[in-house]
Amino acid sequence: MKRNPIFHIAMSLYSLIYFVPLLWMALSSLKSNQEITMDPLSLPTAWDFSVFAEAFSAGGLGKYAINSAIVTGISMSGVLLFGSMAAFAFTRLKFRFSKQILALITLGLILPLQSYFIAQNALFDYLGIKDTRLALILPYTAMGLPLAIWLFRAYIQNLPKEIFEAARVDGAGDLRVYQTILLPMLKPGIATVAVFTALSAWNEFLLALVYIQNDDLKTIPTGLLTFSTRYSTNYHLLFAALTIVTVPMIILYVIFNRKVIEGLTEGAVK
Amino acid sequence: MKPTARWIPYFLVAPAFAIFTLAILGPIIATFGLSLTDWDGFSTPSFIGLENFVRAFNDKVYTSSYGHAAIYIVATLVLEVLVGLILAGLVSAKRNTTFYRVAFFTPVMLPLVVISVLWSFLLNPDLGILNRILDQVGLESWKHIWLGDQSTALLSISVISGWIFAGFYMAIFYAGFQRIPSTIIESARLDGASELQLLRQIKIPMIKNLTEVAVLLCVTGGIQVFDLVYVLTNGGPYDTTQVPTTYLVRVVFRDQQMGYGSALAVILTLVVVGFGLIYNKLRTKDDSVVEY
Repeated sequence: MKRNPIFHIAMSLYSLIYFVPLLWMALSSLKSNQEITMDPLSLPTAWDFSVFAEAFSAGGLGKYAINSAIVTGISMSGVLLFGSMAAFAFTRLKFRFSKQILALITLGLILPLQSYFIAQNALFDYLGIKDTRLALILPYTAMGLPLAIWLFRAYIQNLPKEIFEAARVDGAGDLRVYQTILLPMLKPGIATVAVFTALSAWNEFLLALVYIQNDDLKTIPTGLLTFSTRYSTNYHLLFAALTIVTVPMIILYVIFNRKVIEGLTEGAVK
Repeated sequence: MKPTARWIPYFLVAPAFAIFTLAILGPIIATFGLSLTDWDGFSTPSFIGLENFVRAFNDKVYTSSYGHAAIYIVATLVLEVLVGLILAGLVSAKRNTTFYRVAFFTPVMLPLVVISVLWSFLLNPDLGILNRILDQVGLESWKHIWLGDQSTALLSISVISGWIFAGFYMAIFYAGFQRIPSTIIESARLDGASELQLLRQIKIPMIKNLTEVAVLLCVTGGIQVFDLVYVLTNGGPYDTTQVPTTYLVRVVFRDQQMGYGSALAVILTLVVVGFGLIYNKLRTKDDSVVEY
Protein backbone atom coordinates (compact mmCIF):
# COMPACT_ATOMS: atom_id res chain seq x y z
CA MET A 1 0.00 0.00 0.00
CA LYS A 2 1.36 3.38 -0.93
CA ARG A 3 1.18 6.40 1.31
CA ASN A 4 -1.45 8.78 0.17
CA PRO A 5 -1.38 12.39 1.42
CA ILE A 6 -4.69 13.24 -0.25
CA PHE A 7 -6.39 10.53 1.79
CA HIS A 8 -5.07 11.93 5.06
CA ILE A 9 -5.87 15.52 4.14
CA ALA A 10 -9.45 14.59 3.23
CA MET A 11 -9.94 12.53 6.37
CA SER A 12 -8.49 15.26 8.58
CA LEU A 13 -10.86 17.79 7.04
CA TYR A 14 -13.75 15.45 7.68
CA SER A 15 -12.59 15.04 11.30
CA LEU A 16 -13.18 18.77 11.74
CA ILE A 17 -16.92 18.06 11.75
CA TYR A 18 -16.28 16.31 15.07
CA PHE A 19 -13.66 18.62 16.50
CA VAL A 20 -15.10 22.04 15.73
CA PRO A 21 -18.32 21.67 17.81
CA LEU A 22 -16.42 20.30 20.82
CA LEU A 23 -13.66 22.88 20.53
CA TRP A 24 -16.19 25.69 20.13
CA MET A 25 -17.93 24.48 23.28
CA ALA A 26 -14.73 24.47 25.31
CA LEU A 27 -13.52 27.84 24.02
CA SER A 28 -16.90 29.52 24.46
CA SER A 29 -16.89 28.72 28.15
CA LEU A 30 -13.84 30.98 28.48
CA LYS A 31 -15.58 33.91 26.80
CA SER A 32 -17.89 36.46 28.39
CA ASN A 33 -21.61 36.28 27.61
CA GLN A 34 -21.28 39.45 25.58
CA GLU A 35 -18.45 38.02 23.49
CA ILE A 36 -20.47 34.86 22.87
CA THR A 37 -23.51 36.70 21.56
CA MET A 38 -21.61 39.41 19.67
CA ASP A 39 -19.19 37.15 17.85
CA PRO A 40 -19.71 33.41 18.27
CA LEU A 41 -16.66 32.63 16.14
CA SER A 42 -14.10 34.74 17.99
CA LEU A 43 -11.47 33.32 20.32
CA PRO A 44 -11.57 34.10 24.03
CA THR A 45 -9.73 37.30 24.94
CA ALA A 46 -8.95 36.44 28.55
CA TRP A 47 -8.21 32.91 29.74
CA ASP A 48 -10.28 32.87 32.89
CA PHE A 49 -10.73 29.35 34.21
CA SER A 50 -12.71 30.34 37.34
CA VAL A 51 -15.92 29.72 35.40
CA PHE A 52 -15.37 25.99 35.79
CA ALA A 53 -15.24 26.24 39.58
CA GLU A 54 -18.40 28.32 39.47
CA ALA A 55 -20.28 25.81 37.34
CA PHE A 56 -19.08 23.00 39.56
CA SER A 57 -20.21 24.47 42.87
CA ALA A 58 -22.96 27.02 42.16
CA GLY A 59 -24.58 24.93 39.45
CA GLY A 60 -24.47 21.73 41.47
CA LEU A 61 -22.53 19.78 38.85
CA GLY A 62 -20.42 18.11 41.53
CA LYS A 63 -23.57 16.84 43.19
CA TYR A 64 -24.94 15.44 39.93
CA ALA A 65 -21.64 13.74 39.16
CA ILE A 66 -21.59 12.04 42.57
CA ASN A 67 -25.17 10.83 42.08
CA SER A 68 -24.31 9.46 38.65
CA ALA A 69 -21.25 7.72 40.07
CA ILE A 70 -23.24 6.07 42.89
CA VAL A 71 -26.11 4.94 40.67
CA THR A 72 -23.80 3.74 37.90
CA GLY A 73 -21.40 1.99 40.29
CA ILE A 74 -24.08 0.02 42.12
CA SER A 75 -26.03 -0.89 38.95
CA MET A 76 -22.88 -2.02 37.20
CA SER A 77 -21.73 -4.16 40.15
CA GLY A 78 -25.16 -5.73 40.35
CA VAL A 79 -25.21 -6.54 36.65
CA LEU A 80 -21.70 -8.04 36.73
CA LEU A 81 -22.28 -10.15 39.85
CA PHE A 82 -25.84 -11.37 39.25
CA GLY A 83 -25.34 -11.62 35.50
CA SER A 84 -22.24 -13.81 35.75
CA MET A 85 -23.86 -16.00 38.43
CA ALA A 86 -26.95 -16.60 36.31
CA ALA A 87 -24.95 -17.10 33.10
CA PHE A 88 -22.82 -19.75 34.84
CA ALA A 89 -25.91 -21.64 35.95
CA PHE A 90 -27.62 -21.36 32.54
CA THR A 91 -24.53 -22.52 30.66
CA ARG A 92 -22.92 -25.16 32.87
CA LEU A 93 -25.57 -26.56 35.19
CA LYS A 94 -28.68 -28.63 34.48
CA PHE A 95 -31.81 -27.65 36.37
CA ARG A 96 -35.57 -27.57 35.90
CA PHE A 97 -37.11 -24.55 34.13
CA SER A 98 -33.69 -23.26 33.09
CA LYS A 99 -34.82 -22.90 29.44
CA GLN A 100 -38.05 -21.13 30.38
CA ILE A 101 -36.36 -18.70 32.77
CA LEU A 102 -33.69 -17.90 30.20
CA ALA A 103 -36.34 -17.32 27.52
CA LEU A 104 -38.16 -14.84 29.76
CA ILE A 105 -34.98 -12.94 30.51
CA THR A 106 -34.14 -12.91 26.80
CA LEU A 107 -37.37 -10.97 26.20
CA GLY A 108 -35.55 -8.07 27.83
CA LEU A 109 -33.19 -7.92 24.86
CA ILE A 110 -35.94 -7.02 22.40
CA LEU A 111 -38.50 -5.09 24.39
CA PRO A 112 -38.19 -1.32 24.46
CA LEU A 113 -38.14 0.68 27.68
CA GLN A 114 -41.52 2.14 26.73
CA SER A 115 -43.17 -1.26 27.04
CA TYR A 116 -42.83 -1.25 30.82
CA PHE A 117 -42.02 2.17 32.21
CA ILE A 118 -45.64 3.29 32.76
CA ALA A 119 -46.47 0.39 35.07
CA GLN A 120 -42.97 0.54 36.54
CA ASN A 121 -43.63 4.15 37.44
CA ALA A 122 -46.92 3.18 39.12
CA LEU A 123 -45.18 0.35 40.97
CA PHE A 124 -42.40 2.60 42.25
CA ASP A 125 -45.03 5.12 43.30
CA TYR A 126 -46.79 2.38 45.25
CA LEU A 127 -43.54 1.18 46.84
CA GLY A 128 -42.66 4.75 47.70
CA ILE A 129 -39.22 4.56 46.13
CA LYS A 130 -39.59 7.37 43.58
CA ASP A 131 -37.16 10.16 44.35
CA THR A 132 -34.68 7.69 45.81
CA ARG A 133 -31.58 6.30 44.11
CA LEU A 134 -33.14 2.85 44.22
CA ALA A 135 -35.69 3.99 41.60
CA LEU A 136 -32.81 4.23 39.11
CA ILE A 137 -30.55 1.45 40.38
CA LEU A 138 -33.29 -1.17 40.16
CA PRO A 139 -34.29 -0.59 36.51
CA TYR A 140 -30.71 0.05 35.35
CA THR A 141 -29.62 -3.26 36.85
CA ALA A 142 -32.63 -5.06 35.36
CA MET A 143 -32.03 -3.49 31.93
CA GLY A 144 -28.37 -4.51 31.92
CA LEU A 145 -28.93 -8.12 32.97
CA PRO A 146 -30.38 -9.69 29.78
CA LEU A 147 -27.51 -8.53 27.59
CA ALA A 148 -24.94 -9.33 30.28
CA ILE A 149 -26.27 -12.86 30.64
CA TRP A 150 -26.19 -13.36 26.87
CA LEU A 151 -22.64 -12.10 26.48
CA PHE A 152 -21.38 -14.05 29.50
CA ARG A 153 -23.03 -17.21 28.15
CA ALA A 154 -21.19 -16.80 24.86
CA TYR A 155 -17.89 -16.36 26.74
CA ILE A 156 -18.49 -19.35 29.02
CA GLN A 157 -19.46 -21.57 26.08
CA ASN A 158 -16.07 -20.80 24.55
CA LEU A 159 -14.19 -21.94 27.66
CA PRO A 160 -13.11 -25.60 27.51
CA LYS A 161 -15.54 -27.87 29.37
CA GLU A 162 -12.70 -29.94 30.80
CA ILE A 163 -11.62 -27.18 33.17
CA PHE A 164 -14.95 -27.33 34.97
CA GLU A 165 -14.97 -31.11 34.98
CA ALA A 166 -11.43 -31.28 36.37
CA ALA A 167 -12.34 -28.96 39.21
CA ARG A 168 -15.32 -31.17 39.94
CA VAL A 169 -13.05 -34.22 40.14
CA ASP A 170 -10.84 -32.32 42.59
CA GLY A 171 -13.88 -32.06 44.82
CA ALA A 172 -14.80 -28.43 44.32
CA GLY A 173 -18.47 -27.48 44.71
CA ASP A 174 -20.21 -25.36 42.05
CA LEU A 175 -20.00 -22.15 44.06
CA ARG A 176 -16.26 -22.63 44.50
CA VAL A 177 -15.88 -23.30 40.78
CA TYR A 178 -17.76 -20.10 40.02
CA GLN A 179 -15.57 -18.10 42.38
CA THR A 180 -12.12 -19.50 41.80
CA ILE A 181 -12.24 -20.71 38.20
CA LEU A 182 -14.97 -19.00 36.26
CA LEU A 183 -14.63 -15.40 37.46
CA PRO A 184 -10.89 -15.09 36.71
CA MET A 185 -11.37 -16.62 33.25
CA LEU A 186 -14.29 -14.33 32.51
CA LYS A 187 -12.23 -11.13 32.84
CA PRO A 188 -12.34 -10.00 29.19
CA GLY A 189 -16.10 -10.55 29.14
CA ILE A 190 -16.48 -8.65 32.39
CA ALA A 191 -14.64 -5.67 30.93
CA THR A 192 -16.97 -5.58 27.90
CA VAL A 193 -20.12 -5.86 29.98
CA ALA A 194 -18.81 -3.28 32.46
CA VAL A 195 -18.27 -0.74 29.69
CA PHE A 196 -21.71 -0.92 28.18
CA THR A 197 -23.61 -1.16 31.48
CA ALA A 198 -21.66 1.72 32.97
CA LEU A 199 -22.10 3.95 29.92
CA SER A 200 -25.80 3.22 29.50
CA ALA A 201 -26.48 3.87 33.19
CA TRP A 202 -24.34 7.04 33.14
CA ASN A 203 -26.14 8.39 30.07
CA GLU A 204 -29.72 7.21 30.74
CA PHE A 205 -32.25 10.00 30.53
CA LEU A 206 -35.93 9.00 30.28
CA LEU A 207 -36.29 7.12 33.59
CA ALA A 208 -34.13 9.64 35.40
CA LEU A 209 -36.42 12.37 34.10
CA VAL A 210 -39.57 10.60 35.29
CA TYR A 211 -38.43 9.17 38.63
CA ILE A 212 -36.25 11.87 40.13
CA GLN A 213 -37.64 15.33 40.90
CA ASN A 214 -35.43 16.06 43.92
CA ASP A 215 -32.53 18.16 42.64
CA ASP A 216 -30.15 16.62 45.20
CA LEU A 217 -30.57 13.18 43.63
CA LYS A 218 -30.45 14.05 39.93
CA THR A 219 -27.88 12.40 37.70
CA ILE A 220 -25.80 14.18 35.07
CA PRO A 221 -28.25 14.06 32.10
CA THR A 222 -31.26 15.39 34.01
CA GLY A 223 -29.09 17.60 36.19
CA LEU A 224 -27.56 19.21 33.14
CA LEU A 225 -31.01 19.83 31.69
CA THR A 226 -32.08 21.54 34.93
CA PHE A 227 -28.86 23.52 34.83
CA SER A 228 -29.55 24.61 31.25
CA THR A 229 -33.04 25.91 32.07
CA ARG A 230 -31.88 27.62 35.26
CA TYR A 231 -28.97 29.38 33.56
CA SER A 232 -30.53 29.57 30.09
CA THR A 233 -28.99 32.96 29.32
CA ASN A 234 -25.74 32.58 31.24
CA TYR A 235 -24.06 31.11 28.19
CA HIS A 236 -20.48 30.85 29.33
CA LEU A 237 -21.52 29.06 32.51
CA LEU A 238 -23.56 26.63 30.43
CA PHE A 239 -20.70 25.98 28.05
CA ALA A 240 -18.47 25.42 31.07
CA ALA A 241 -20.93 22.84 32.40
CA LEU A 242 -21.02 21.03 29.05
CA THR A 243 -17.23 21.07 28.96
CA ILE A 244 -16.92 19.71 32.50
CA VAL A 245 -19.26 16.85 31.68
CA THR A 246 -17.67 15.88 28.37
CA VAL A 247 -13.94 16.42 28.82
CA PRO A 248 -13.32 13.79 31.53
CA MET A 249 -15.34 11.28 29.50
CA ILE A 250 -13.34 12.04 26.38
CA ILE A 251 -10.05 11.65 28.26
CA LEU A 252 -11.12 8.28 29.68
CA TYR A 253 -12.34 7.29 26.24
CA VAL A 254 -9.08 8.18 24.53
CA ILE A 255 -7.14 6.12 27.09
CA PHE A 256 -9.44 3.09 26.90
CA ASN A 257 -10.69 3.60 23.35
CA ARG A 258 -10.32 -0.01 22.27
CA LYS A 259 -12.29 -1.37 25.22
CA VAL A 260 -14.97 1.30 24.91
CA ILE A 261 -15.53 0.78 21.19
CA GLU A 262 -15.50 -2.99 21.64
CA GLY A 263 -17.86 -2.85 24.61
CA LEU A 264 -20.43 -0.65 22.91
CA THR A 265 -20.42 -2.40 19.53
CA GLU A 266 -20.38 -5.95 20.85
CA GLY A 267 -23.15 -5.08 23.27
CA ALA A 268 -25.31 -3.86 20.41
CA VAL A 269 -24.56 -6.50 17.80
CA LYS A 270 -25.07 -9.58 19.97
CA MET B 1 -23.43 -30.95 34.27
CA LYS B 2 -25.58 -31.89 37.21
CA PRO B 3 -25.11 -29.36 40.02
CA THR B 4 -23.26 -30.52 43.13
CA ALA B 5 -26.31 -29.58 45.18
CA ARG B 6 -29.86 -29.11 43.95
CA TRP B 7 -30.35 -25.61 45.31
CA ILE B 8 -27.21 -24.16 43.76
CA PRO B 9 -28.49 -23.24 40.27
CA TYR B 10 -31.61 -21.62 41.73
CA PHE B 11 -29.48 -19.69 44.17
CA LEU B 12 -27.31 -18.48 41.26
CA VAL B 13 -30.22 -17.45 39.05
CA ALA B 14 -32.53 -16.05 41.75
CA PRO B 15 -31.13 -12.50 42.16
CA ALA B 16 -31.06 -11.80 38.41
CA PHE B 17 -34.50 -13.27 37.88
CA ALA B 18 -36.01 -11.47 40.88
CA ILE B 19 -34.72 -8.05 39.83
CA PHE B 20 -35.73 -8.64 36.21
CA THR B 21 -39.22 -9.76 37.20
CA LEU B 22 -39.80 -6.89 39.60
CA ALA B 23 -38.51 -4.11 37.36
CA ILE B 24 -39.32 -5.33 33.84
CA LEU B 25 -41.38 -8.51 33.46
CA GLY B 26 -44.10 -7.59 35.95
CA PRO B 27 -44.44 -4.03 34.64
CA ILE B 28 -44.69 -5.29 31.02
CA ILE B 29 -47.62 -7.52 31.93
CA ALA B 30 -49.19 -4.73 33.98
CA THR B 31 -48.77 -2.24 31.11
CA PHE B 32 -50.61 -4.57 28.77
CA GLY B 33 -53.37 -4.86 31.38
CA LEU B 34 -53.54 -1.10 31.94
CA SER B 35 -53.91 -0.52 28.20
CA LEU B 36 -57.45 -1.89 28.49
CA THR B 37 -58.43 0.61 31.18
CA ASP B 38 -59.17 4.25 31.72
CA TRP B 39 -56.86 5.40 34.51
CA ASP B 40 -55.58 8.77 35.73
CA GLY B 41 -52.90 7.26 37.96
CA PHE B 42 -54.77 7.84 41.24
CA SER B 43 -58.32 6.49 41.22
CA THR B 44 -59.25 2.87 40.49
CA PRO B 45 -58.69 1.92 36.84
CA SER B 46 -61.93 1.15 35.00
CA PHE B 47 -62.01 -1.51 32.29
CA ILE B 48 -62.95 -0.13 28.87
CA GLY B 49 -61.84 -2.93 26.53
CA LEU B 50 -60.14 -1.85 23.33
CA GLU B 51 -61.41 1.71 23.40
CA ASN B 52 -57.90 3.14 23.92
CA PHE B 53 -56.67 1.39 20.79
CA VAL B 54 -59.57 2.69 18.71
CA ARG B 55 -58.78 6.15 20.02
CA ALA B 56 -55.08 5.75 19.17
CA PHE B 57 -55.78 4.93 15.54
CA ASN B 58 -57.96 8.03 15.26
CA ASP B 59 -55.45 10.23 17.06
CA LYS B 60 -53.88 12.31 14.27
CA VAL B 61 -50.93 13.40 16.40
CA TYR B 62 -50.15 9.80 17.26
CA THR B 63 -50.48 8.37 13.76
CA SER B 64 -48.42 11.20 12.29
CA SER B 65 -45.74 10.58 14.94
CA TYR B 66 -45.05 7.29 13.17
CA GLY B 67 -44.73 9.20 9.91
CA HIS B 68 -42.10 11.43 11.51
CA ALA B 69 -40.31 8.40 12.92
CA ALA B 70 -40.36 6.85 9.41
CA ILE B 71 -38.76 9.96 7.89
CA TYR B 72 -36.20 10.00 10.68
CA ILE B 73 -35.44 6.30 10.10
CA VAL B 74 -34.97 6.71 6.35
CA ALA B 75 -32.74 9.72 6.94
CA THR B 76 -30.65 7.97 9.57
CA LEU B 77 -30.29 4.82 7.46
CA VAL B 78 -28.40 7.06 5.05
CA LEU B 79 -26.71 9.39 7.54
CA GLU B 80 -25.72 6.69 10.04
CA VAL B 81 -25.56 3.27 8.37
CA LEU B 82 -24.51 4.26 4.85
CA VAL B 83 -22.10 6.97 6.01
CA GLY B 84 -20.79 4.51 8.60
CA LEU B 85 -20.19 1.95 5.89
CA ILE B 86 -18.35 4.47 3.71
CA LEU B 87 -16.22 5.59 6.66
CA ALA B 88 -15.42 1.97 7.53
CA GLY B 89 -14.40 1.37 3.92
CA LEU B 90 -12.12 4.39 4.04
CA VAL B 91 -10.44 3.65 7.35
CA SER B 92 -9.94 -0.01 6.51
CA ALA B 93 -8.33 0.73 3.14
CA LYS B 94 -5.25 2.35 4.66
CA ARG B 95 -2.94 1.83 7.58
CA ASN B 96 -2.57 4.23 10.53
CA THR B 97 -6.20 5.20 10.75
CA THR B 98 -6.67 4.69 14.50
CA PHE B 99 -6.85 8.42 15.01
CA TYR B 100 -9.85 8.81 12.69
CA ARG B 101 -11.63 5.80 14.11
CA VAL B 102 -11.27 7.09 17.65
CA ALA B 103 -12.35 10.59 16.61
CA PHE B 104 -15.43 9.51 14.69
CA PHE B 105 -16.63 7.32 17.54
CA THR B 106 -16.33 10.03 20.23
CA PRO B 107 -19.96 11.27 20.24
CA VAL B 108 -21.30 7.73 20.65
CA MET B 109 -20.22 7.45 24.26
CA LEU B 110 -21.23 10.93 25.39
CA PRO B 111 -24.67 11.46 27.02
CA LEU B 112 -27.27 12.24 24.34
CA VAL B 113 -28.69 15.00 26.51
CA VAL B 114 -25.34 16.75 26.65
CA ILE B 115 -24.87 16.48 22.89
CA SER B 116 -28.40 17.72 22.31
CA VAL B 117 -27.83 20.79 24.46
CA LEU B 118 -24.57 21.46 22.62
CA TRP B 119 -26.26 21.17 19.22
CA SER B 120 -29.13 23.40 20.25
CA PHE B 121 -26.43 26.04 20.69
CA LEU B 122 -24.62 25.25 17.46
CA LEU B 123 -27.92 25.70 15.59
CA ASN B 124 -29.13 28.64 17.69
CA PRO B 125 -30.10 31.49 15.32
CA ASP B 126 -28.42 34.17 17.48
CA LEU B 127 -25.24 32.72 18.86
CA GLY B 128 -24.85 29.46 16.96
CA ILE B 129 -21.93 29.05 14.64
CA LEU B 130 -23.76 27.41 11.74
CA ASN B 131 -25.73 30.51 10.72
CA ARG B 132 -22.67 32.66 11.41
CA ILE B 133 -20.52 30.54 9.12
CA LEU B 134 -23.17 30.69 6.38
CA ASP B 135 -23.08 34.49 6.77
CA GLN B 136 -19.33 34.62 6.40
CA VAL B 137 -19.19 32.52 3.26
CA GLY B 138 -21.96 34.49 1.60
CA LEU B 139 -24.79 32.01 1.89
CA GLU B 140 -27.14 34.24 3.93
CA SER B 141 -30.14 32.83 2.11
CA TRP B 142 -29.41 29.38 3.52
CA LYS B 143 -29.80 30.60 7.09
CA HIS B 144 -32.63 29.08 9.08
CA ILE B 145 -34.03 28.89 12.57
CA TRP B 146 -33.07 25.26 12.17
CA LEU B 147 -34.96 23.72 15.06
CA GLY B 148 -37.84 26.18 15.10
CA ASP B 149 -38.78 25.97 11.44
CA GLN B 150 -41.25 23.26 10.43
CA SER B 151 -39.41 22.54 7.20
CA THR B 152 -36.00 21.97 8.79
CA ALA B 153 -36.58 20.75 12.38
CA LEU B 154 -36.94 17.02 11.73
CA LEU B 155 -34.13 17.03 9.19
CA SER B 156 -31.84 18.87 11.61
CA ILE B 157 -32.51 16.25 14.28
CA SER B 158 -31.68 13.51 11.75
CA VAL B 159 -28.41 15.20 10.80
CA ILE B 160 -27.42 15.54 14.46
CA SER B 161 -28.26 11.88 14.93
CA GLY B 162 -26.00 11.09 11.98
CA TRP B 163 -23.21 13.12 13.54
CA ILE B 164 -23.51 11.02 16.68
CA PHE B 165 -24.04 7.49 15.35
CA ALA B 166 -22.21 7.27 11.99
CA GLY B 167 -19.09 6.44 14.00
CA PHE B 168 -20.93 3.68 15.82
CA TYR B 169 -21.85 1.89 12.59
CA MET B 170 -18.36 2.55 11.25
CA ALA B 171 -16.94 0.68 14.26
CA ILE B 172 -19.26 -2.29 13.69
CA PHE B 173 -18.41 -2.52 9.99
CA TYR B 174 -14.72 -1.92 10.58
CA ALA B 175 -14.58 -4.81 13.06
CA GLY B 176 -16.28 -6.96 10.43
CA PHE B 177 -13.79 -5.97 7.73
CA GLN B 178 -10.91 -6.81 10.06
CA ARG B 179 -12.21 -10.35 10.44
CA ILE B 180 -12.09 -11.12 6.73
CA PRO B 181 -9.10 -13.43 6.25
CA SER B 182 -6.20 -11.35 4.92
CA THR B 183 -5.36 -14.04 2.34
CA ILE B 184 -8.59 -13.22 0.50
CA ILE B 185 -7.81 -9.52 0.46
CA GLU B 186 -4.17 -10.03 -0.51
CA SER B 187 -4.94 -12.36 -3.40
CA ALA B 188 -7.56 -9.96 -4.73
CA ARG B 189 -4.96 -7.19 -4.57
CA LEU B 190 -2.47 -9.36 -6.45
CA ASP B 191 -5.10 -9.86 -9.12
CA GLY B 192 -5.08 -6.10 -9.52
CA ALA B 193 -8.32 -5.20 -7.76
CA SER B 194 -8.58 -1.54 -6.78
CA GLU B 195 -9.54 -0.58 -3.21
CA LEU B 196 -13.02 0.37 -4.42
CA GLN B 197 -13.55 -2.94 -6.23
CA LEU B 198 -12.25 -4.73 -3.16
CA LEU B 199 -14.78 -2.93 -1.00
CA ARG B 200 -17.76 -3.44 -3.30
CA GLN B 201 -17.10 -6.96 -4.48
CA ILE B 202 -15.43 -8.62 -1.50
CA LYS B 203 -15.61 -6.71 1.76
CA ILE B 204 -19.24 -5.58 1.73
CA PRO B 205 -20.69 -8.92 0.53
CA MET B 206 -18.70 -10.69 3.25
CA ILE B 207 -20.20 -8.65 6.06
CA LYS B 208 -23.76 -9.00 4.82
CA ASN B 209 -24.91 -10.26 8.23
CA LEU B 210 -23.53 -7.20 9.94
CA THR B 211 -25.24 -4.80 7.54
CA GLU B 212 -28.52 -6.56 8.28
CA VAL B 213 -27.95 -6.22 12.01
CA ALA B 214 -27.05 -2.56 11.51
CA VAL B 215 -30.24 -1.87 9.57
CA LEU B 216 -32.29 -3.60 12.27
CA LEU B 217 -30.56 -1.59 15.01
CA CYS B 218 -31.10 1.63 13.11
CA VAL B 219 -34.80 0.91 12.46
CA THR B 220 -35.72 -0.30 15.96
CA GLY B 221 -33.57 2.41 17.54
CA GLY B 222 -35.20 5.00 15.29
CA ILE B 223 -38.72 4.13 16.41
CA GLN B 224 -37.60 4.56 20.00
CA VAL B 225 -35.73 7.84 19.53
CA PHE B 226 -36.40 10.03 22.57
CA ASP B 227 -33.54 11.96 24.20
CA LEU B 228 -32.57 13.92 21.08
CA VAL B 229 -36.09 14.97 20.18
CA TYR B 230 -37.12 15.72 23.75
CA VAL B 231 -34.23 18.10 24.34
CA LEU B 232 -33.98 19.67 20.87
CA THR B 233 -37.65 20.34 20.03
CA ASN B 234 -39.87 18.35 22.42
CA GLY B 235 -42.10 17.51 19.46
CA GLY B 236 -42.46 21.07 18.19
CA PRO B 237 -42.89 23.21 16.18
CA TYR B 238 -46.61 22.37 15.93
CA ASP B 239 -46.03 18.64 16.53
CA THR B 240 -43.94 18.35 13.34
CA THR B 241 -41.19 16.48 15.17
CA GLN B 242 -43.52 14.57 17.50
CA VAL B 243 -42.34 10.94 17.58
CA PRO B 244 -44.09 8.01 19.32
CA THR B 245 -41.97 8.24 22.48
CA THR B 246 -42.22 11.99 23.04
CA TYR B 247 -45.98 11.86 22.52
CA LEU B 248 -46.22 8.90 24.89
CA VAL B 249 -44.38 10.79 27.62
CA ARG B 250 -46.66 13.79 27.07
CA VAL B 251 -49.83 11.69 27.34
CA VAL B 252 -48.65 9.90 30.46
CA PHE B 253 -46.85 12.55 32.45
CA ARG B 254 -48.41 15.81 31.33
CA ASP B 255 -51.98 14.69 30.61
CA GLN B 256 -51.97 11.97 33.32
CA GLN B 257 -53.68 9.46 31.00
CA MET B 258 -52.05 6.25 32.13
CA GLY B 259 -54.53 3.93 30.44
CA TYR B 260 -54.32 5.61 27.06
CA GLY B 261 -50.56 5.95 27.40
CA SER B 262 -50.28 2.22 28.11
CA ALA B 263 -52.19 1.47 24.90
CA LEU B 264 -49.75 3.69 22.97
CA ALA B 265 -46.88 1.84 24.68
CA VAL B 266 -48.35 -1.53 23.68
CA ILE B 267 -48.66 -0.43 20.04
CA LEU B 268 -45.05 0.77 20.07
CA THR B 269 -43.92 -2.51 21.62
CA LEU B 270 -45.75 -4.53 18.97
CA VAL B 271 -44.18 -2.45 16.19
CA VAL B 272 -40.66 -2.97 17.60
CA VAL B 273 -41.18 -6.70 18.15
CA GLY B 274 -42.74 -6.93 14.67
CA PHE B 275 -39.61 -5.52 13.07
CA GLY B 276 -37.54 -8.01 15.07
CA LEU B 277 -39.63 -10.92 13.80
CA ILE B 278 -39.52 -9.72 10.18
CA TYR B 279 -35.76 -9.46 10.50
CA ASN B 280 -35.52 -13.00 11.84
CA LYS B 281 -37.57 -14.29 8.89
CA LEU B 282 -35.52 -12.48 6.28
CA ARG B 283 -32.14 -13.10 7.81
CA THR B 284 -29.72 -14.85 5.51
CA LYS B 285 -28.37 -18.07 6.92
CA ASP B 286 -25.25 -18.19 4.79
CA ASP B 287 -22.13 -19.73 6.30
CA SER B 288 -19.70 -17.96 4.00
CA VAL B 289 -20.31 -14.59 5.65
CA VAL B 290 -18.12 -13.44 8.48
CA GLU B 291 -19.82 -13.50 11.86
CA TYR B 292 -19.09 -10.61 14.15
